Amino acid sequence: MTHLLSIILFSLFGGAILLIFVPNSKPMMVRAVAAVAAFISMIASFILLYTFDYKKGGFQFIEKYVWAPDVGISFHMGVDGIAVPLVLASCILMFAGIFVSWHIKDRTKEFYIFLLILTSATVGVYVSLDLFFLYFFYEMSVIPMYLLIGVWGSHTKNFLESKNPLKDTPRFFFNFTSNSKEYAAMKLVLFLSAGAILALMGILLIYSNSGLYTFDLLELSEVPEGKYGKALVSAIWIMVFFGFASIAPLWPMHSWSPVGHASAPAATSMLHAGVLMKLGHFSIIRVAFFLFPEATQEWMPIAAYLCIGSIVYGGLVALFQRDTKYVIGYSSSSHMGYIFLGMAALNVISLTGAIFYMFAHALATGLLFAMAGWVYDQTHTRDIPSLGGLSQKMPFITGAFIVAVVASFGLPLTVNFVGELMIVVGSWRMYPKITILAVLGICLTLCYLFRMMRGVFFGDLKPEFSGAMDATLWHDRLPLILMLSCSIYYGLFPSHFINVIQSGVIPLLERMHKVTPLLTQVGGF
Amino acid sequence: MAPALNLADIDLSLMAPELWMTLLSCIVISIDFLFPKFGKDKLAYLSLAGTSLICLQLIGFFASGKSGTLFSGMFVLDPLAIFFKIFVLIATLLIVLSSIDYINKAKYFRGEYYFLILFSALGMMFMSSANDFLSLYLSLEFSTFGFYVLVTYLRNDLRSSEAGIKFFILGVLTSSIIIYGISLVYGATGTIRFSELMNITPSLGAIIGLLFIFIGLGYKIGAVPFHAWIPDVYEGAPTPVTSFLSIAPKGAAFAITLRVILSTFSGMRSDWVWFMVGLAVLSMTYGNIVAIAQKNMKRLLAYSGIAQIGNILVGLAAGTKMGGDAILFYLLAYLFANVGAFAVVIIFSNLTDKDDIDDLAGLNRRSPFLAFSLLVFLLSLAGVPPLGGFIAKLYIFAAAINQNLIFLVIVGLLNIVISMYYYLVVVKKIYIAEPTDSSKIPISLPLRAVVYISLIGVFALGVFPKTFMDWSMAATEIFSNLALK
Repeated sequence: MTHLLSIILFSLFGGAILLIFVPNSKPMMVRAVAAVAAFISMIASFILLYTFDYKKGGFQFIEKYVWAPDVGISFHMGVDGIAVPLVLASCILMFAGIFVSWHIKDRTKEFYIFLLILTSATVGVYVSLDLFFLYFFYEMSVIPMYLLIGVWGSHTKNFLESKNPLKDTPRFFFNFTSNSKEYAAMKLVLFLSAGAILALMGILLIYSNSGLYTFDLLELSEVPEGKYGKALVSAIWIMVFFGFASIAPLWPMHSWSPVGHASAPAATSMLHAGVLMKLGHFSIIRVAFFLFPEATQEWMPIAAYLCIGSIVYGGLVALFQRDTKYVIGYSSSSHMGYIFLGMAALNVISLTGAIFYMFAHALATGLLFAMAGWVYDQTHTRDIPSLGGLSQKMPFITGAFIVAVVASFGLPLTVNFVGELMIVVGSWRMYPKITILAVLGICLTLCYLFRMMRGVFFGDLKPEFSGAMDATLWHDRLPLILMLSCSIYYGLFPSHFINVIQSGVIPLLERMHKVTPLLTQVGGF
Repeated sequence: MAPALNLADIDLSLMAPELWMTLLSCIVISIDFLFPKFGKDKLAYLSLAGTSLICLQLIGFFASGKSGTLFSGMFVLDPLAIFFKIFVLIATLLIVLSSIDYINKAKYFRGEYYFLILFSALGMMFMSSANDFLSLYLSLEFSTFGFYVLVTYLRNDLRSSEAGIKFFILGVLTSSIIIYGISLVYGATGTIRFSELMNITPSLGAIIGLLFIFIGLGYKIGAVPFHAWIPDVYEGAPTPVTSFLSIAPKGAAFAITLRVILSTFSGMRSDWVWFMVGLAVLSMTYGNIVAIAQKNMKRLLAYSGIAQIGNILVGLAAGTKMGGDAILFYLLAYLFANVGAFAVVIIFSNLTDKDDIDDLAGLNRRSPFLAFSLLVFLLSLAGVPPLGGFIAKLYIFAAAINQNLIFLVIVGLLNIVISMYYYLVVVKKIYIAEPTDSSKIPISLPLRAVVYISLIGVFALGVFPKTFMDWSMAATEIFSNLALK
């Protein structure tokens, strides 16, 4: 099992390479190859979760290969308790995404190739223990997004005709030029690249000023912060934080994200919201938290204040959207605020909760996007007022949607509840006022998701949608059942998961010398 | 003072590749006019075979570490020279391959074309070995003469003739600037040998002379503000010639620049570093910003080339051995990505006679392979992992940041974002836009070979860079005793 991470990473890559040789005229074979590749990596990541030794903690499954020793780069992989759930979430969503995009007819082969590259790049970030490769995979995940949105996405233009200037101002402020898919894709790439180079600047400064001329995270973590000098540490921290926070996306750098979500095809939105945005949080933890514990304590309150923007602004904007995918997109960027809150509080419970919530949110948002995509495929509209009564035609989708909605706002028994509760409990001591706002944000979530659910599935069925179909075939139901069962299973039995996460969180926080005894208590779920 | 030329003392094996190349180009031109019936594409394959053999010989030289000087130090053979000779010959091979279709369609001078390509390559091989200002000047002129003819190859085409005239006038002007600079350096120091110039104390005359020489070299590599000829010449010249012009002379000019800057004048780094920083910032920013507005694929690649040169100058500004390694690596990545991108343009315009970006619309529907290849080449130029261009950019910036050139690195990184935009505009055309004419695009065997070789090169440089880094580090061994580490 020493090569488990290689198996996860390279079965996805290998699948993409294998697909190049499959003729485009055989779509079933294309899907089969992609599904097998994703299945292998998903099974391997479940094995990863259950063979990860949380009593031992630290980095495990380490693999290290010589790559470019003269520049100080090695291909160094390894996971700690923080990375394991994210690897798992990526692989589950990838496998589900293959079935969600079963009906894509145009250039099927290329679609799956780019989807597999996207996921393998995200997994690559989660398993990298080398700053160079972390950046390498991070940047690699951006370009497939461009093509996935640009080629297979859909325009959102129709839904943005301003009826009420006051209400629509926020949207128009950020998206005033165009709402075509090309615009969304280009905006995404430019925002993410700009963020990435900011982070890269920080990484290069670490590389040269550490005096080691290496990109290896474990070696760099031995360097005391004093070696960089206080001003430089602050500068690097800010660069790394804001560079990676732009993909997270932290308010006010979020404007690319809802547009991108709305334009992307369903499987891409799932991966994008589910795992791609978590690259930001993860990289901040991996680079800024891990290398600069002191600067983190000094500067992390910024995140606590900015996350109010994410939570409240994102929630309020979601409340006024007419496009189903915009609602889910803004809800995602609002929920990312909770993760920042959990990270900012810097104690075991809140940070564990934040990481658990990343996993939870991946499943819940994945479900919502998958079903929004299904509804769009059946009705060719995402405009909430013109939809309605679809529960008569699609009982299965409706049922699954209700579960996904209650999971999204964190009803007990779902995995999101555990994460949200831990974030709120953990951050209460540090930031009581912000925590109150965050809880109000949960109420907002309730409002806009229920509003969307009512508008799409309940009420009178419009005659033009009488031909809409439910998901009846196995390959349409499989992804939904998979994500729902994971969401509920880990909501009921989170203890192994939490143990794994805490084995990564506790050493990280111990580096910050600030762990108060009360909060190190292992969660008793 | 100068020793008499005694042929017996001269180890001619040091310049065997040049001699073979001379023989090869003479054979090609002789066959062309002695046997007019001999198939012109056979001439191309003859050139290919000969060039490959010479390339193999050079690889043998590189492996055995052959080195030495000839003609009282005018000609030097060291790993750096061998590296650049191999570089030039690889470019020549790829260009000859990509020219075959193009030249078969032309009406006249089909045999002379290959001769001129080989002849310019010969000049550039001498450039890589130039070890004093006189051989620098001679080899520079030598290689450029071939290009003056090649650029005007389509003599009935107005754009080609205009390009030729521009190239010629500006080229001659620059030559005179270089030779004036050389005379100033000689007047101030009394020597023109690189090895003797290393120990001089800088005087005003020498610095002004050097500045003039750099301006001339800046013209050859096309750095802003000496870039004015590039877009028009690139657009007007036959596309294979543009492809050749965009890479081989730049490589050879960097061989000279590296030799002069890093070894001879490394002691005066504080005097020239700001010159290099300025050139790099201007080239990157100007090239990338103006590229956004381009409608023609060749012009877009011309401006992107200017920006790439700016990136390479970042490594020169670092002024260390690591900077030199990074430059060599960068040139390799640039070679494959650029020649590959031009090969796609050649394939496309062979069929349609068009090379505007709008004409490429829907390329993915017409030929998925070409679209994917162009995507890879453009992304490599933009610096996206896992392609060669990414490692090259990172290598250059790492070298610069180790010398604390933080401002330069910030500008360079910002430019990556700008460049991402216009490369993606092309990607948008080829992947997202629908084609107006959806007929398939046939790809001939030689061009297919060029695209495959370039793809392999771009991926190999990105995924397994260690081998290539080792080569570039071996080639820059002569800089290992630099003052700066």
